Amino acid sequence: MLTEIQEGKALSPVVKHITQEKINLYAEASGDFNPIHVDESFAAKTPFGGTIAHGMLNLAYVSEMMTSAFGQGWLSGGKLRAKFKESARPGDTLTVSGKIDCIDIKDDVSYANCNFECRNQKGQTIVAGEAIVKLSSDRK
Amino acid sequence: MPDKAVSYDELIPGYKFPPATYELSASFVSKYLKAVGSTGAGFVPPLAITACAIAAMTKSVPLPPDTIAIHASQELEFFKLVPIGATIECHIGVAQKIARGKMNMLILEIEVFDKGEEKVQSGRATIALPA
Repeated sequence: MLTEIQEGKALSPVVKHITQEKINLYAEASGDFNPIHVDESFAAKTPFGGTIAHGMLNLAYVSEMMTSAFGQGWLSGGKLRAKFKESARPGDTLTVSGKIDCIDIKDDVSYANCNFECRNQKGQTIVAGEAIVKLSSDRK
Repeated sequence: MPDKAVSYDELIPGYKFPPATYELSASFVSKYLKAVGSTGAGFVPPLAITACAIAAMTKSVPLPPDTIAIHASQELEFFKLVPIGATIECHIGVAQKIARGKMNMLILEIEVFDKGEEKVQSGRATIALPA
C-alpha cells in the first residue's frame, strides 16, 4: 500500500512477461477461447499475424498495480476507464505504471485520480486510461 | 449460463442478455490467479468477476467462423468485495451499436449482483467486430 498519497506520486510498477501458456491459462479461467488468443495457426492467418493476449488479462495487471497501491479502497470503491490500444503478444514484457494526478474532495470524501498505462518492451502503449479511487476519510 | 444464443442482428440497443449465474469457487479463483500471475488474499479479484460477465456475453453471441472480436475499451466500477464461494448474477445489455466503416462497435452495459442482490460492479465494454 502507498504510505503517502499525494499528487504526482508514482505508483509501484508491475512487470509481467506474456507467454502463450499464460494466455491459454487465462482462456481456461475466463472461458474466452476466441481463436485469436489460443489458436496459433488461425491467428497466424489474421492481420495480427499471431495470437494476442486477452485485453482483460492486460487489464488485470493494471488492477494488480492499483490493488498494491490502494488496497480495499480500490477493490470496493475503484473506478476505471481503459482503452486497449495495441495487442500484447507472447514474448512481450509488459510494464504497467501510473501516478496520482490529483486528489479531489467531494461531499467530505477524498478521491485519488490516477492515470495508468501498460507498455511493451518496445515502448508501445498496450492499454492506457484513468482510474479513480475512493480514499478513507483519514487520508484527506 | 445463458442457454439461448442470439444472432448479431438481434443485438439492438435495449436488448438484454439472459442473466448468467456463476459460482465463484475456490478452484475458479485459483485458476484465475494462476493465469494472471497474482496471489490470493481471500476474496475474488474484481477483474475475475468481470471476466465471468464478459464470458457470459461472448458465449451468448455465436460469431461466424473466423470472425475476430476485439475488446476496444472497458469502463468498470467496483462497489464491494465478494468472498470466495459466493454466487453472482451478471446482467448484460446492449447500450449502443455503431457502424464505423468496416467495423461495428457494440457497446455493452454490465451489472453484477451478489446473492443478496447488492450491486458488486458495473461497467461498459466496447467490442469491435467486422461489419
